[in-house]
Amino acid sequence: MENSSPTSAAPSRTLATPPRVARKDDTVPSPTLIDVKGLDFYYGAKQALFDINIAIPDRRVTAFIGPSGCGKSTLLRCLNRMNDLIDGTAVKRGEIKIRDIDIYGPAVDPIELRKRVGMVFQKSNPFPKSIYENIIYGLRIQGVKSKTKLDEVVEKSLRGAALWDEVKDRLHESGLGLSGGQQQRLCIARTIAVEPEVILMDEPCSALDPIATAKVEELIHELKKQFTIIIVTHSMQQAARCSDRTAFFYMGKLIEFDETHNIFMNPKNAQTEAYVSGRFG
Amino acid sequence: MPPESTTTSAVESAPTSFRIQKERTQFLGLTFDECIQGFFGGNALLAVIILGLITFFLFREGSSFFSQNRDNLSIYRLAGLEYVDLGRQPEKDHAALSRYLADLRLRTYQYYTAQKALPAKEANTLLADFDLYADRFARASAPIRSQLMDWSEIANDIKARHLTNQNLAEKRRQLLAAGKSAEAAAVKILPINFAVEVETITTTLPAYAEASSTFARSLEELIVAPPILPDVDLTVRMARFQALTRDFIASLPATLESMKKWDATVPVPLSQSFTAFIFGRQWLTASFWQDWYGAMPLIAGSMLVSLIALTLAIPLGVGAAIYVNQLASPVEQRLIKPAIEFISAIPSVVLGFFGIAVLGEFLRVASGWSFLSWVTGFPFAERLNALTAGCLLGLIAVPTIFTLAEDAINNVPRAFKEASYALGASRLQTIIRIIVPASLSGIVSAILLGLGRVIGETMVVLLCAGNRIAIPDFTAGLGVVTQPVHTMTGIIAQEMGEVEPGGIHYRALFVVGLLLFFIALLINYFAQKIVRKYKVSIG
Repeated sequence: MENSSPTSAAPSRTLATPPRVARKDDTVPSPTLIDVKGLDFYYGAKQALFDINIAIPDRRVTAFIGPSGCGKSTLLRCLNRMNDLIDGTAVKRGEIKIRDIDIYGPAVDPIELRKRVGMVFQKSNPFPKSIYENIIYGLRIQGVKSKTKLDEVVEKSLRGAALWDEVKDRLHESGLGLSGGQQQRLCIARTIAVEPEVILMDEPCSALDPIATAKVEELIHELKKQFTIIIVTHSMQQAARCSDRTAFFYMGKLIEFDETHNIFMNPKNAQTEAYVSGRFG
Repeated sequence: MPPESTTTSAVESAPTSFRIQKERTQFLGLTFDECIQGFFGGNALLAVIILGLITFFLFREGSSFFSQNRDNLSIYRLAGLEYVDLGRQPEKDHAALSRYLADLRLRTYQYYTAQKALPAKEANTLLADFDLYADRFARASAPIRSQLMDWSEIANDIKARHLTNQNLAEKRRQLLAAGKSAEAAAVKILPINFAVEVETITTTLPAYAEASSTFARSLEELIVAPPILPDVDLTVRMARFQALTRDFIASLPATLESMKKWDATVPVPLSQSFTAFIFGRQWLTASFWQDWYGAMPLIAGSMLVSLIALTLAIPLGVGAAIYVNQLASPVEQRLIKPAIEFISAIPSVVLGFFGIAVLGEFLRVASGWSFLSWVTGFPFAERLNALTAGCLLGLIAVPTIFTLAEDAINNVPRAFKEASYALGASRLQTIIRIIVPASLSGIVSAILLGLGRVIGETMVVLLCAGNRIAIPDFTAGLGVVTQPVHTMTGIIAQEMGEVEPGGIHYRALFVVGLLLFFIALLINYFAQKIVRKYKVSIG
């Protein structure tokens, strides 16, 4: 990486959570947390992202929309380096900075990065373990052993994911016994148990029915007081309902990025306008 | 509207282009589809029928073993062989004590030559007293030994006559069956009155008792003044020897008591014929005295060898599966997978040959290396033993375990892995906490099927296990692995060619085969059960 900054030498310390203050007013401009500059990304020889520049604000919900194969999920997976798990992927140019640290810098440990940037997947994927074990997995692997601490985190996370009342009596039953919507909220609870700064959501509601979707969206609204959320979605209604800012991608390029109401009510780009009005995609 | 008119109007209104009926070709009244179905169904049925035939054949050939074995055990009792063996037990125990003395002599000799650095000749001179003592000890059993020899002759004679009678009866039966009644009548069978015959042995019990007490007295005299040994450790061992001998003397009256109680007329129950097979500690055939068909040495041998094989194959097979599936680069995957799977293509006789010529010799030499001397059982002199066979069987089990375990690991949903990584787990943590637990049932069944492969393997154990028919001495701790053993598969392969069809030995081998069959069945059953029961569940 040509852009690796010297500050990236101690990523875990610098990325430590700052004191969190719940904000009341979403209209107040928020400082940039994630800054992507000139990003070119490749799957082997095939270029998937072209010169992406986007500044994602702290403790806001940012939605990525666009037709299938437009690169929105790819960009999302770049943000916690999940793409590293796929052979042949590479960032050829550009940089992604979170709190001014280049996350592709040589001193960055992807494992530490992923503790700070959590992810919720399209298909709910609780481990075939108990609900309790699912929640504390992230802490277990960090070596947390104290039972009181773990109990505390389980309750806090499940309350945070609005699941506590539904499962508090069966914490030691398998997570696979929950309904689809509950499973997805369990995955969210599991993610927030590690206390990340950013939560990436890759089409979190695409496998859920409308009622479960509404619950997750409500939850997103709650979570943005504490976390920066980036959500990839195919549903424009969802983007309109729950995001503060929306980015429209097309063919691996970022076409337009603006306040959500501007994207839907008053798009500047013709392609964006065509997409949000349902003429293609 | 009446139904007829509806049908008519429907047919009339159908357009001519809508033709969905077709004439089917038929063979022997079956359509082509039915023929194909019948062909595949027939093949499947054939497999089931053949399996059934094999099972039936094994059962038919093996089933009469137990009645034959009961006859075998009955004549052992009726002819008084059992009685003589009761009387022979003290002689055997005494021989074991003599061996203890011989071992003690060796230790003392080593003490003189190694620690005191005396020349061999001088050491032997110092041991002259000891040798004299050991000699007197060994000869103490002479009185009962001569009595036993007389008894053995009588008992053997009764048994021999009984066997001759059996042969004659068989001959007469054949002649009668051939319609030669005159010749059949000419075959003279002299019936044996076992009770009377055996009395010639049992009535001489007082003489044996007399000999036994002489024997006990001379032992008592001997243990009062054992030779003085030069070292603390050796003295302790001598004290132990004294204690053992005292116990032995104390046990002599009990032996006499059991001989007094012995009764030739007590019938041998069929269940004893069964237990004598399963739990019998001796497999002794074509003996001058009494044949024993005890499967215990073979079962123990098979188990020991399989245990060694699995100890090696589990870490190798499962480790390789985890590595190839989770950690290896594509190039490595392309190299390692076929290489491991190729092992199963090596004919086991070639592996056995390698075991004899290379591995056995290497292990024997390696056991002599001084830096390995801390291993129990090292060094050992036998080139062919359970360890050599176990190592090779382990190699044979590796491809089975590897392939099935790799499949199981591969079946773990990718989503679990991604979720784990997304929570900040490292590769190792993901493997240990998610991948392995999620595929554990598959891995366990892979191991079970590997065990099935190992238990059934014949050629390697026949060539490399040493083929000594005796229960391995488990008191040797880990050193037990360096002992030669014989196995269930090995004994069938080795002896089946030499036995008389229909004889008890032949049947005994079939029962061993049946036992193997059931073990394999059980292993497969559990392997499948485990897979079904714990399909997806972690901790």
